[in-house]
Amino acid sequence: MSAMAEQSPNEADALMSAYLDEELAPEEAAKVEKLLAESPEARAELSGLQNMLKLVKGLPEVEAPPDFYEKVARKIRRRRIVSMEFLGLLILPFQVLSVVLILMVAATYMLLHLDNDPSVKLEKDPTVQAPPAPPSP
Amino acid sequence: MTDPDPSAPTPRVVDLAAVVEPDEPEPASPAADDPNLTPAQREEAARRAEQDRRDRRLVRRLKEGDERAFQELVQTYQNRIFGLMLRMISNRQEAEDLAQEVFIIVHRAIGTYRGEGRFYTWLYRIASNTCKNRIKYLKSRNFHRSVEIEDSPQAQLPAAEGGAIVTFQSQVPGPEATVEGKRMEVIVQRELAALDPEHRLLIVLRDVQGLSYQDIIRITGLQEGTLKSRLHRARVALKERLAPYMR
Repeated sequence: MSAMAEQSPNEADALMSAYLDEELAPEEAAKVEKLLAESPEARAELSGLQNMLKLVKGLPEVEAPPDFYEKVARKIRRRRIVSMEFLGLLILPFQVLSVVLILMVAATYMLLHLDNDPSVKLEKDPTVQAPPAPPSP
Repeated sequence: MTDPDPSAPTPRVVDLAAVVEPDEPEPASPAADDPNLTPAQREEAARRAEQDRRDRRLVRRLKEGDERAFQELVQTYQNRIFGLMLRMISNRQEAEDLAQEVFIIVHRAIGTYRGEGRFYTWLYRIASNTCKNRIKYLKSRNFHRSVEIEDSPQAQLPAAEGGAIVTFQSQVPGPEATVEGKRMEVIVQRELAALDPEHRLLIVLRDVQGLSYQDIIRITGLQEGTLKSRLHRARVALKERLAPYMR
């Protein structure tokens, strides 16, 4: 493999790979074949690779289980529900906080309102005299 | 087949950004009426063009919220993605979980698919990233998945020690050939699983699934020269592992 030896290891590897896959242009393939004819080691290497490839390409095709799609769809639905539950848990503290806040605002308002209500003041004002009692007969 | 290992870590919730890459524009494939193509290549180009048109229609419908389109996409590619995972992981349950995860990611990330590249290569990129991440995750936890191989110790011995002898004559149909074929599959799968994951991926894509160099380049992002030289090294590594079983 003198000419191949002149190439960088990566180039020689790439050439061999492309030759095995019949991806070389005819003139490049002819060069490799010439080199193979000159080198028994290269021929042995190529033969070993071809045998290995026969084994690998002979692996049977595999099929996904028949209910594959149903399982995918179920997982998607489940994750949607989980994410909605998670969202619910995430906003729960804010919901509680907003209720507390509303109650506090309402209480404050009521207190202020009571303080400003004139009728309440009248009831509370000790200077307010009771209406005169009706004359007794 | 082995039962799923209950001690196995459950698949993590996948970080989409770690596995979904934007689809890039791809160079035009050879047209089916290109006179420079052989009849077989023309047929392949026509089949591929039709598949791409169909995928584009399904993706458009899926983006509009049509779940039937998603079902069709899954059923179109489920065998290929499951096959990729099984050959990479060597465990049927794990492979099924991972293949399902790939389609769940597709469902979540379909909005990010711009339609500039082929759906097929985008899907394969997600699958290979998911698979590599999973292998890395398992390795980081020092978790060793059981390879689904025949349990008989005889089948696991090299030929010189009386183990399974894989010859190409055994591919001739017949009961003995069936047994030999099964042994051959088990041994090849086991040795494939022992390769470096990057090497394994290239062999599975090219030699098991028969993808073209151009498709593998788009899926892995490798340069053509790098792909060819790395593929060669992967093949040499596998040949050396299988040598004791071949004669």
